[in-house]
Amino acid sequence: MNNFAIDWYFISLLVFVGLYAMLASRSIIRQLIGLEIVSKAAMLAIITAGALTSNLMLAQALIITMIVVEVVVVAAGLALLVKAHRISGSADIWKLDSLKG
Amino acid sequence: MTYHNLLFILAIFFAVWAVMARNLLTAAIMLALVSVTAAAILFDFNAPWAGVFELSVCAGLITVLFIAGVSLVRSYDERNPENRTVFHALPLALAIFAIAAWFYVPEFFGEIAGWKHMAEPGGHIGLALWDIRKPDLLGQIVILAAGVFMIKSVFPKKRPAAGEARTTK
Repeated sequence: MNNFAIDWYFISLLVFVGLYAMLASRSIIRQLIGLEIVSKAAMLAIITAGALTSNLMLAQALIITMIVVEVVVVAAGLALLVKAHRISGSADIWKLDSLKG
Repeated sequence: MTYHNLLFILAIFFAVWAVMARNLLTAAIMLALVSVTAAAILFDFNAPWAGVFELSVCAGLITVLFIAGVSLVRSYDERNPENRTVFHALPLALAIFAIAAWFYVPEFFGEIAGWKHMAEPGGHIGLALWDIRKPDLLGQIVILAAGVFMIKSVFPKKRPAAGEARTTK
């Protein structure tokens, strides 16, 4: 069996774990942890595809961009968490509508 | 089993631990370990630049951000614990998914790997960002603008209350 196919099989398991975390939890922190796991899986998929097609430089450039975007997403998510915690005193994702102006 | 596959299994193990951890701090630390393992995989793929970025930014900066967030909501999380049954079901659900996927996923991806001739090597980053992806440049600008708008709406300027405004006039 192709080695890349096995890598992508493991990556699909990682995506499953991340999506499960996002579906099962109502805590904003756990939602972000699930999102992070899914984005790690996406990153590994990009580097695997880059190695397969001998485009490692392009894959690395994309991954660096992706890491920067990931930091911004986490920072924005945590900003939402801080704001929601200040206003409603909770970290529940269903109470984010308390931020409605 | 090769070192490479072992790293993938370790990443999945730490990810499951991060999701199942009762304590949010443990979850954040396990997420950092997922990042460290992902960085090791990147180094194994001979991608040192991405590996260094992953190690410094994801395992470092993002973990610090998470720990700052966790320290804020820790007391809330301890007062209102979530129902753990769904989290305890994760290993079982993952095992079922892994067995079911084993029959279809490697075969499917093996077929996709056969299309590698469509991605010709030798491109450089400028070509990819400006020439090939020119049509979605506008989309990227819109996404960035949406991010800025979101940050602005999260932290709005405090408006004076109606009564307050009347008294100041």
